[in-house]
Amino acid sequence: MLIYLARRVALTIPTFLALMFATFVAIRLVPGDPVEVRMGERGVSPERLAMLCHQLGLDQPVWRQFLDYVGQIARGDFGVSLATQQKVLTEFFTLFPATLELSFFAIAFAVVIGVPAGVVAAVRRGGVFDQTLMTISLFGYSMPIFWWGLVLIMLFSVTLGVAPVSGRIDLINYSFDQPTGFMLVDAALSDQPGAVWDAARHLILPAVVLGTVPLGVIARMTRSSMLEVLAEDYVRTARAKGLSPFRVVGVHALRNALLPVVTVIGLSVSGLMAGAVLTENIFSWPGVGSWLIQSIFRRDYPALQGGVLLISTVVILVNLAVDLLYGLINPRIRHAR
Amino acid sequence: MPADVAPTDAQVLAQPSPFAAFASAFRENRGATIGLCVLVLIVLAAIFADLIAPHAPSEQFREFVRAKPVWAGGTSAFPLGTDGDGRDTLSRLIFGARISLFIGVSVMAFAFVIGVALGLLAAMAGSLVDVVVTRLMDVIMATPSLVLAVVIVAILGPSLTNTIVAVTLVGLPRYVRVARAAALGELTKDYVTAARVAGVRPLRLALSTVLPNCLAPLIVQAALGVSDAILEAAGLGFLGLGAQPPTPEWGAMLADAREFIRSDPWIVTLPGLAILISVVAINLTGDGLRDALDPKMRRG
Repeated sequence: MLIYLARRVALTIPTFLALMFATFVAIRLVPGDPVEVRMGERGVSPERLAMLCHQLGLDQPVWRQFLDYVGQIARGDFGVSLATQQKVLTEFFTLFPATLELSFFAIAFAVVIGVPAGVVAAVRRGGVFDQTLMTISLFGYSMPIFWWGLVLIMLFSVTLGVAPVSGRIDLINYSFDQPTGFMLVDAALSDQPGAVWDAARHLILPAVVLGTVPLGVIARMTRSSMLEVLAEDYVRTARAKGLSPFRVVGVHALRNALLPVVTVIGLSVSGLMAGAVLTENIFSWPGVGSWLIQSIFRRDYPALQGGVLLISTVVILVNLAVDLLYGLINPRIRHAR
Repeated sequence: MPADVAPTDAQVLAQPSPFAAFASAFRENRGATIGLCVLVLIVLAAIFADLIAPHAPSEQFREFVRAKPVWAGGTSAFPLGTDGDGRDTLSRLIFGARISLFIGVSVMAFAFVIGVALGLLAAMAGSLVDVVVTRLMDVIMATPSLVLAVVIVAILGPSLTNTIVAVTLVGLPRYVRVARAAALGELTKDYVTAARVAGVRPLRLALSTVLPNCLAPLIVQAALGVSDAILEAAGLGFLGLGAQPPTPEWGAMLADAREFIRSDPWIVTLPGLAILISVVAINLTGDGLRDALDPKMRRG
């Protein structure tokens, strides 16, 4: 197990290096000279220009610049945002809890509905429920979520008036410290009556929108994985022993059917972050997704560079965690190769 | 059994041609058939947009700004109403199909060719080349698709061409991985060894010996790749980083319509519905292709 763990962790290191190299190259391809950006349009004396280049390390050979860049990142220095003059790392971690909260509830929504629905569809294969669910799930994973968000806003906010349109909480009626950055938790800690309910109302539409594509994928995956397991000999044995159908399906089959589903959930993190960019944009959700898009429109390249690197790091780490978890649940993986 | 209806030996031994087997398996799949029919309609609309569309996509009818659709009491001159600049929504949707399909197909074509080339190269060259290609794909996959596309557009500037470049790069890993895995599987087989021994050169070995046997999973990826590319490009358009106005791109149309979300919901609803229907149709077709091309999945 330790060897598997070490192997898997070691494999992410070259990916990290390649990722740093990619962001390093990308930022150099961006139009606009970094010195000129700092100095503005006015002319600069050649001496001043040379000094600035030296300050920014641009007079060093490229390989040297790359090593410096890797060194900075290793020390946790992701640069300073041009727009806010704050450290990119600080800014990222201020906004990341909002994205995390949104993603967590999106996945929870997808799992809580998708897994049971997939199981029932597999048990009643070919029935009305199965066909309906498969159609819904097809529409789910084909959904342009930016449009879906607008449709839900039209339905629930404009027409029915039951859900707020944007933000994480009603800032006019509620104000409290945010020690954790997770609005639901902070609202609960604040002792302001109704704050939790208000935070939940703000969360529900974005979470449903972001969870729609994973819901479709998870329901489909659970169904096909369950169908495969239900055909196995040990399920037949369990049935022959006279166990109740609920026990056969819910315990014996589901445990094994969930393995691929766990992997799919892990692999959906990358897609979830991509979806968060759109969802946060629609609902003015103050997370890292909307921050990245703002950085582009503000031409805040240090923030963009650091932000992309950090988001990708999160994705790599989650995938690593899922792989390790999978190795833990499934001994066959651990011992392979 | 009467002798005159007994099948001849030739009939018994004849296998159905691969295409006939594929077509009959595809036809059996009701969803795939519906999807393909809808897709054909959309493709026809895109090709003959100039003939079908009642108006030019950018023509502004100033006296008909935000006209309602026919069923909501609008005029039949603008069956689906007009947008905030008085442009006919139906015409813009039809021309939008042309743009979305163009993006989807060109992204698929570029990503397919580059991805398959890289995948075959990685599988056949092995060692360092394989490691470099695989790592690069890992990086692309670790970066959320839309974030990567957004960064590329930030570097190149927003336009239709750059949307295609960005979405192609985002879609690359799936082809590389599938091609590499399939090629690795084929390379161990005897017929490849035989070809090698016979002195077939690497390029010929890759393209005419190995590649044809890897095509089935690649075709399925390509079909699903078109719908992903359309969604991705529409997302970029929606963020204002894709096709620029007045191009009637569906995502950009949606972004334009956001301000009318309270007053004129149909302006927001229709472009999204167009995206959804196209993507569903392509995904249905792709699923049908997968089931029909993979004999294990065929209903026996």
